[in-house]
Amino acid sequence: MGLISRLAASADVPVFPVVGIGGRTAARSLATLGGIRVVDHPRAAVLMLLVGRPTRSLLRPLLAVHDQLSGPRCTVWWRTGRDGGDELVAALPAVEVLPVGDASALRRVFTELVNGARASDPPALDDIETTPWRGVGPYGQGGSGMTGGTPYGRPLVGRAPDPDGLQLDQLPLQVGPFFGPFPPGLVLHLEVQGDVVRHASLGENPFTRWPGDAPLGPLESGVFFDAVAEVAPVAGLELARARHHLRWASDALRLHGLCSPARRLAALAERIAPGDAELVVRIARQLGRSRSLASVMRGVGVVDPERHGLRQGIVARSTGVPEDARLSDPAYRPLGFEPIVHEGGDAWARFRQRLDEAAQALILAERAGERIRAPGPAVEGPRGALAAGAPSPSGQLLGILPELLVDQEWGDALTIVTSLDLDVEEAAHEVPAEASA
Amino acid sequence: MAAFGAALTVVLTVGVAVVVTVWLRTAIDPACLVASERVPSLGGGEPEVHAWSRYHVRYYAMALLFLAFDMEMVFMYPWAVVFVEEGLVALVEMLMFIAILLLGILYAWRERALEWA
Amino acid sequence: MTWSSPLAGVLLVGAVLVAGAFVVVVVDRAWGSIAAHQRVRVAALVAGPARDGALLLLTRPSTTERPDAQAWVLAPALVVAMAAAVVAAVPLSPGIAVADVDDGIVLIGAAFALVMVGVYLHGWSANSPMPLTGGYRFVALALSYEMPLALVLIAAALPAESLSVGAIVASQHDIWNVVRQPLGLPLYLVVGLGLATWGPLNMADGADLAGGTTAEVSGVSRLSWELARRSVLVAVAVVGAAVFLGGWQGPLLPGWLWMAVKTLVLVAVLTGLGHRVARIRLERFVVVAWAVLIPVALVDVFVSGALAL
Repeated sequence: MGLISRLAASADVPVFPVVGIGGRTAARSLATLGGIRVVDHPRAAVLMLLVGRPTRSLLRPLLAVHDQLSGPRCTVWWRTGRDGGDELVAALPAVEVLPVGDASALRRVFTELVNGARASDPPALDDIETTPWRGVGPYGQGGSGMTGGTPYGRPLVGRAPDPDGLQLDQLPLQVGPFFGPFPPGLVLHLEVQGDVVRHASLGENPFTRWPGDAPLGPLESGVFFDAVAEVAPVAGLELARARHHLRWASDALRLHGLCSPARRLAALAERIAPGDAELVVRIARQLGRSRSLASVMRGVGVVDPERHGLRQGIVARSTGVPEDARLSDPAYRPLGFEPIVHEGGDAWARFRQRLDEAAQALILAERAGERIRAPGPAVEGPRGALAAGAPSPSGQLLGILPELLVDQEWGDALTIVTSLDLDVEEAAHEVPAEASA
Repeated sequence: MAAFGAALTVVLTVGVAVVVTVWLRTAIDPACLVASERVPSLGGGEPEVHAWSRYHVRYYAMALLFLAFDMEMVFMYPWAVVFVEEGLVALVEMLMFIAILLLGILYAWRERALEWA
Repeated sequence: MTWSSPLAGVLLVGAVLVAGAFVVVVVDRAWGSIAAHQRVRVAALVAGPARDGALLLLTRPSTTERPDAQAWVLAPALVVAMAAAVVAAVPLSPGIAVADVDDGIVLIGAAFALVMVGVYLHGWSANSPMPLTGGYRFVALALSYEMPLALVLIAAALPAESLSVGAIVASQHDIWNVVRQPLGLPLYLVVGLGLATWGPLNMADGADLAGGTTAEVSGVSRLSWELARRSVLVAVAVVGAAVFLGGWQGPLLPGWLWMAVKTLVLVAVLTGLGHRVARIRLERFVVVAWAVLIPVALVDVFVSGALAL
């Protein structure tokens, strides 16, 4: 056992990140930490890394995911942003609070678990079958209805009409807030027939802020939200925009199976500087020429600006609508800014749009130098315009997601979810009112 | 015949070895999982029904086409062995056979049987 | 030519599979470092599989509420056993052929077809939506690639006038099949990716299914499944080296070393493709497989048949 433990202790630490309020930015840095491997399903992980503050509606999924980790397991908490959440986290059996971004601390906990110095966490939920075993016969069979009772605790699936004219089984799925490929916090109630999504509806936003709750944030696109009411350097905004789009591109590449180019983009996003404009232009051109990516994303999730009511924002720009809040911003006029537009409005257009805007943002950051932007006109965030009093663009995108998913095959459905670049926490966030400056 | 015996021995031994390894490790440290640890993982969601269902296998038409071509494969195996002996006649005959089956693929393609896969 | 002692044959095949799986992991991670523009740290790469394997041995195996426990354990065993059957049918050296049957190509085709059953069972047994979907999607892919696989192997058997892999290797003594039948090896590599559900054809374990058939396994069951997938990739490379690259033939070096080098080259090509090409859309690929790959494979068969006459 000693040799195996020693070998295992020097393996990459498999971590399953669970993102709460204000945790998305810190969770990004996980991808660049050495010796840490981010996994997309809890059973492959040893550490559950809670980043940020949990909410009341995230508690039950959090406990469920904790129990799905295979032993030995431990929960680690990176407390980002504001305090709070202790009473919710107390429901977990044992939580280790560690400094944010500290890889060696994670490895220390991992080594202790592997060596047996630290005991594995017991399950958080009780050993109660959620649906007791009913039925007439000894195997749960029999009873009323064609499928009888509830064999082994859960009913069998019911049928629903199919576009072929057949009556086929339709599986109701609640794909929860911590599903690997989804943005954190996205809950979708899907009815799936085979691998085709027939109905989709949004679950409640787990980051909804109730009166008396602590404020949300810090958001991943917090820089843009702050710029609505405060002065901000143009170069800083454009750098944040490039970083955001590169991080998104890294997520998209990982979803499509290109994990190593995704790692490269994630590492590049963390150390981006205005001088990297040429490199990003080259990467954008290289990825834009990739035939395999084009064949996967072309024609998937076509957004129609009139039907879906998208008048501005990056998704609208990928359909050909040249609306950009930076056009009416006096700070951008001397920089020679022209909005980039793509045609088609499908996932491929959105992919190329974001890469091209990242490259353009770096060029603008280089040209801007020390220029400052005064608060007043709307800020063009990475998803759309942020103006005081107007709803955040993420909320609008969340609204059009369910109808885009209908009758999509599973892989295409995930391509669509990723291509919209959703931030569920931002959708629950209010754009701050203008400061009296 | 001895070669088949050797192949069968390899297959059975390797298969049993894998099963025994998994079983041994599970027996050393049996995992008694409670109910909440056995829930199918959906990112924190609670499953309502069993996943086993009459799954809509949309590619059933393509599977039927595959059956036809599987039979053609069976005929091509012995043909490959005697092909050089028989000469051009064998080539032409197999060509005709394949052409008839290719008509089948063409028909399936036009009827969009492949697009539901 | 068969091996005198069955135990030695089993050990040889087992050693080839385990060593091959190890090499696949190392080469795959090396490609990953290159594609990520990171430094290739050789010591960490070589130690990586042992470390991750040890971690998997220590982790507790998990299960779901109502799985098919027997099928779940048998699925990786079936896949590894079929990969072993394939490696056994290939002569690894002029004097060593564990089970060089007279119809090795039929045995290889049948074994690769049963791999499909194993992958599907692995997804179905868990009684969970993501693995189930992974299994069914993989079957669509598998049905589509069976035909091109059989056709390119038959095309290679034509000049040899025999279905035995040893005869096919011997028929390449003056010119390799990769030169004589240029369409064969590229087609075979595409099919090979599908056989192991690797890279662009990873329908069973993809990231869009949050791990697919591996989403509910952990511990030693996960280890056996990962070994199974990589051993199929090794088997694909071994057969490709024998049937298209001339097998153990080559100047100067001993036969087994040539086999190892050629297998390594094919493993490198297969894993490298996994880091360059995005995962396919299943419907489009099925149409391509039936409307493009099968006609190309048929052209390959008939052209090489005409040349062999």
